[in-house]
Amino acid sequence: MEINQAMDEDQIWKIRAFVYQHSAGTTRPPLVEETASHFSLTPEEAASAYEELQERHAILLQPGTHKIQMAWPFSGVETLFQVHANDKTYFANCAWDSLGIPAALHVDAEINAVCAQSGDAIKISVTDQSISRSDALVHFLVPFQNWYADLPFT
Amino acid sequence: MLFFRSEEMLEQWLVAKQVERGAVLSIPTLWELSQRWYHNRMSPDYRGRTAKQVQEIFDETGLTSGFWKAT
Repeated sequence: MEINQAMDEDQIWKIRAFVYQHSAGTTRPPLVEETASHFSLTPEEAASAYEELQERHAILLQPGTHKIQMAWPFSGVETLFQVHANDKTYFANCAWDSLGIPAALHVDAEINAVCAQSGDAIKISVTDQSISRSDALVHFLVPFQNWYADLPFT
Repeated sequence: MLFFRSEEMLEQWLVAKQVERGAVLSIPTLWELSQRWYHNRMSPDYRGRTAKQVQEIFDETGLTSGFWKAT
């Protein structure tokens, strides 16, 4: 595709950085139109860049769209993994990513999630990059080598 | 990756979902992994990582079983 060929590798990774800065600043990844506007691109060029980033496992798009579902650890959709930090409420993709948000942002955080079996609240605090005591467990169902076969399932 | 309140809750979930047990991490271990995995994710210079780098992160966190094999 001509648009892909015209967009160099550097530009694609600059767009990745923008996606992450936007996610951190607003709690949600940018729409294609927002990215296009920021970089003075057409929406089609920005959409193409999103596809390139997905190919590189840098983001995951909602199927059949150019809406970002995952820019790890940030989720583009509401989930049961809420992270309160920076006076904002972020949504994480999974248990791991709920700790990933304070790790990525290097900030204190309150994590509100639930036990997948009982629905009981799971609350974890991160203060000065130390974690509060918790008896909760995290279960990884899929071995690493299969993670990228079906990311939402993983 | 899901949270469970206890080992008992996890066992019930595995039976209900009829799935095999994968890997189970404590919260402190998950936090260690998160810090190693995500500490530089906001850097404008981040370009992903190689399988070797992934393996190093797992190894440094003590995740050395076949479940965590990246290379």
